[in-house]
Amino acid sequence: MASEEVARDVLQRTFVKGGRYWQAVAVLAVVFLLGVVGFILKLGDERAQWGYFAATFSYLFTVAQTAPVVSVALRLAKNHWRRPLARASELFAVVGLFNLLFFIPLLILLPSIEGRNTIWILGVWPSRFYTPHIFDTLALVGLVVLGLLFLWTAAVPDFAAAREQRGGRGRYAFLALGWQGTARQWRIQRALLGLLGGLYFMDVLTTHFLISSDFSMALVPGWVDSIYPTFHALTGLQAAVAVTIVTMFLLRTVGGYREYLPMESFWGLSKILLAMSLMWFYFWWSAFITFWYGRLPVEQNIIQLIMFGPYRPFFIIGFLFCCIFAVGLLIWNPLRKSPAAMAAIAAMILVGGFFDRMRLYVASWSLADTTEHELTKVPAAIWPQVPDLLVIAGGLAGAVLVYMLATRVVPVMSIWEMKELRLYQVPRQLVRRRMLSLGKPE
Amino acid sequence: MTVRTEWDHKWSMVVDIDRCTGCQACVVACQAENNVPINTEDIFKQSRAIEWIRIERYWEGEFPDVKARYLPAMCQHCGNAPCEPVCPVYATYHNDEGLNVQVYNRCIGTRFCANNCPFEMRFFNWWQPVWPESLRNQLNPDVTVRNRGIMEKCTFCVQRIRRAERTAIQEERDVKDGEFAPACVQACPTGTLVFGNSNDPNSRVAQLMKSDHPRRYRLLEHLGTEPNVVYLKKVDPYLKEEAHNGSH
Amino acid sequence: MQDRRTLTDIQVNETLTNTVLKTPLLWYVILAFMGGIVMLGVVAVGLLVNMGQGLNGYNRPVMWAFFLTNMVFWIGISHAGVMLSAILRLAQAEFRRPATRAAEVLTVFALATAGLMPIVHLGRLWRAYWIFPYDFSRGIWPDVRSQAVWDPHAISTYLIGSSLFIFVALIPDLAVLRDRTTGIVHSIYTMLAMGWRGTVRQWRLQAIAGIILSALLLPVFVSVHSIVSWDFSMLVGVPSWHTTIFAPYFVIGAVHSGVAGVITVLVLMRWLFGWHDYIRREHIDSLARLLFVVALAWFFFFMLEFMFGLYHQEGTEMVVRELWLFHAPWNAIFVIFILTAFVIPVPLWLFRSVRRSFPLMFFTTILVNVGMWLERFLLIIPGLERKHPFTFSWGEYAPSIFEITIITATFALVATMILLFARAFPLIPLGDAKEARVLRDEIRIGRRTVQAVLREE
Repeated sequence: MASEEVARDVLQRTFVKGGRYWQAVAVLAVVFLLGVVGFILKLGDERAQWGYFAATFSYLFTVAQTAPVVSVALRLAKNHWRRPLARASELFAVVGLFNLLFFIPLLILLPSIEGRNTIWILGVWPSRFYTPHIFDTLALVGLVVLGLLFLWTAAVPDFAAAREQRGGRGRYAFLALGWQGTARQWRIQRALLGLLGGLYFMDVLTTHFLISSDFSMALVPGWVDSIYPTFHALTGLQAAVAVTIVTMFLLRTVGGYREYLPMESFWGLSKILLAMSLMWFYFWWSAFITFWYGRLPVEQNIIQLIMFGPYRPFFIIGFLFCCIFAVGLLIWNPLRKSPAAMAAIAAMILVGGFFDRMRLYVASWSLADTTEHELTKVPAAIWPQVPDLLVIAGGLAGAVLVYMLATRVVPVMSIWEMKELRLYQVPRQLVRRRMLSLGKPE
Repeated sequence: MTVRTEWDHKWSMVVDIDRCTGCQACVVACQAENNVPINTEDIFKQSRAIEWIRIERYWEGEFPDVKARYLPAMCQHCGNAPCEPVCPVYATYHNDEGLNVQVYNRCIGTRFCANNCPFEMRFFNWWQPVWPESLRNQLNPDVTVRNRGIMEKCTFCVQRIRRAERTAIQEERDVKDGEFAPACVQACPTGTLVFGNSNDPNSRVAQLMKSDHPRRYRLLEHLGTEPNVVYLKKVDPYLKEEAHNGSH
Repeated sequence: MQDRRTLTDIQVNETLTNTVLKTPLLWYVILAFMGGIVMLGVVAVGLLVNMGQGLNGYNRPVMWAFFLTNMVFWIGISHAGVMLSAILRLAQAEFRRPATRAAEVLTVFALATAGLMPIVHLGRLWRAYWIFPYDFSRGIWPDVRSQAVWDPHAISTYLIGSSLFIFVALIPDLAVLRDRTTGIVHSIYTMLAMGWRGTVRQWRLQAIAGIILSALLLPVFVSVHSIVSWDFSMLVGVPSWHTTIFAPYFVIGAVHSGVAGVITVLVLMRWLFGWHDYIRREHIDSLARLLFVVALAWFFFFMLEFMFGLYHQEGTEMVVRELWLFHAPWNAIFVIFILTAFVIPVPLWLFRSVRRSFPLMFFTTILVNVGMWLERFLLIIPGLERKHPFTFSWGEYAPSIFEITIITATFALVATMILLFARAFPLIPLGDAKEARVLRDEIRIGRRTVQAVLREE
């Protein structure tokens, strides 16, 4: 497809949606409303009952708000195969707005840090007993804002293309911010992308650190696990790659972007997914073996609480799906080169990731007393009730709904990057082999 | 006569802190019994002294209201000993009488066990130990003189345990409570240290070790090492309530 | 901005084999100097064997000290090889080409040196072989639960693997040397070159072997330093060591110091052998960017480690952080460590002019390794000095002259071994240097010319 056709085709697909799209939107909206009903039914429950709600929040944060990192990191690495998938992953930033809805009740339920382990140890913060409430909100809202700004910056040239097609008026005229495509504007856009991307990456790590420690680890007395925030962030990155693959597959099959998404992009991501799945094991194992070998009673209890005790089924599913099965399948190159197989594996990882979040968050929210010195008794399991299931379904449906509505506004394929790709990739003949010459602009 | 190799023994010790005067008689007795090298002033200054039992002395309070507190400390013969799994060559292991045993010939001196001992009760022979000419006949023939480059630690005077068991075998009976004692227990003038078979419910040590003893505690219990030495708290009318826990 | 000169195959062969075929005089001078220091170290080890570990600065709480610090340090350096060769080979990064061989050689020799350290530290080091399961007749086996058994096995696996890795990459170069030597040397190279003729099939096999070995070595690479870190982190006896982050923290620290070490070696090679056309500014620039990312990641892990030491506010951990921050000499060491490992070099690498300057990169990477040595020292020693909750047994540590001599000698040993290797084998892979020239391309976009690389479709 020639460079000029790309813009027309992509914008056409953005503006005009088929009947299946609207059917899906309707179904998702209904499920989301059911979730709202579930939430209303949950009002008045004790803190221990909100574990599944916390798990859903953390899962959406893990998957959707980490997803733009895929685009950020691959941009920094100057990969060419990231161009078709960059926008699909950036667009997940809009789900962050939706996830703030989940954050508010949790913030109210989060106990004060008085008398318990917390990362906010210095006591010099503005509000001593409610420090995490303030700073976690700042970090999360900052992440949402940064994500949206990053998305906007990356999409400005595409908005300009849309503006041109719409005759220079309307919302795209505003969104395009007077983009003319001058050399100076491109330079500024590139610098902004680098800056916002770097900030986003750092804020993702920070927020993972804060959420994982304030909303799960610090609620369990005596759980001191210095790798846990990193494990949390790593599972986030794994889920981010997985959700990008699933989105790419859907765009390819249902969205009609088959020509834009070559096998190479799946292949590139699949290798990263393999590395992430291996590291899943490594980071989990680092924590597990240290606790298990040390044989301290409190650490034995924590292993029981989050791995082998009441939530063992959740742990086993998470462990198998995110790590064992994922690695076992991803090591096969034929599977890595097949979009359908990759989408199936990525979907499995997403399911496993949800079970992993449940075993961590439900377990840590289930403790009645957070101010003990050490965890001495592992409480019994809390299984999901009907309102919990409704909230989980509604939350997930709402997130997908927000994403789908966003694809109506923002082109889900980055037009300018696809055009750039056509400049940087030139076929060449080397002796008797057909090769591809890849430009590496400095 | 049947030769017994299986005993229903679990050797344990009780240290009644309330009785300890800090006289160090146990330290000297241990030194003499177990061929522990002479610790000179220099060696103390380098903190390389070998004392299988030591009196840890802590000062409490501000001058002039200062109190000395004594804590006799020896290998705790932990039931779940952290020093054992880290030895690469099985030079330290748990025997079936509850003792944490050190095999001198097998030790290669990684000092892994010493690092993993939370009580700091394992000692390394930095040099070849030497005794002055006048003390050569003082060495206990029942105890190995250790070489340089290996770990050593309190054995609960395993040579005395074995002697008592041999005698019992010859006389076809079980070892009686109080029949023998390690050197430190024997030397203790105030009866601070009590030693015996805690598997025998009637032994004095088992009586004192009972889990409902009001003054009972064990060192660093939160580490879950299950020490085989039980301490009894000091009875002190002036002791502040919050300072009562000797394990921290 | 790339200062490239077009070279013919003959020129490449000549300059890159000049270490083997005509050795610079400076090589002999440096070798003699380094060899002398190694001999001093050998004498010191001999005295340790003869008289006992009492010669060192150890005492009761501090049972491990300089030697194990140094072991961790050299294991760290040894992580450069696989990081650069294997990962960058799998990622097809062009800038790896001049650095791979040097990195692999550094790996093997640093690892061998690291393996020596725990042996020197043993109380009865003539019995060190007892940790291997050799004793079939007596039925006494090593205890597989002990990290001290995992260590030697992990290290020797890595050593064998990375030696193979070097050898596979070396075969084509050995053939070049075989064709340019005579006499007994010729027959040795003939044997080593294993009948290499440079056929298409042989090249393909060699490339496949390289990729398979890369993929196999990666898990070993991660496991080696993790296992070394578990020597520390699994011990409940030293509370400040007992933390779950140690394994990845050690690995990322290893990559930090290792990549820095490779840059140091590359700059030295360029200076010593005059390979200005092969080790170019853009290579050092890309390596510095990689190092920048690694340094940030390392700092993140460092912060986590530090932070979670304070997290649960146990006295046993607080006292170690207090030692780091407020007590001489640890606070001085801590400040030097932070400055040299992160604060000075990392912001400097933000500047392109620094990344492209050989003297400045040499200086900053040396700083990094000074800092990383001190980091290991800070992790290991203060924890031991204050390991005991009972303050009665707290202690201090100061290294003795023997430890310092042996540590210095290990640096000389690695240098000596690399120099000897350079005398026998080329330090930059000839084939890679030539392949890089073939795959180089340019694309014209409008009025700009963009550097490009040829890739298989």
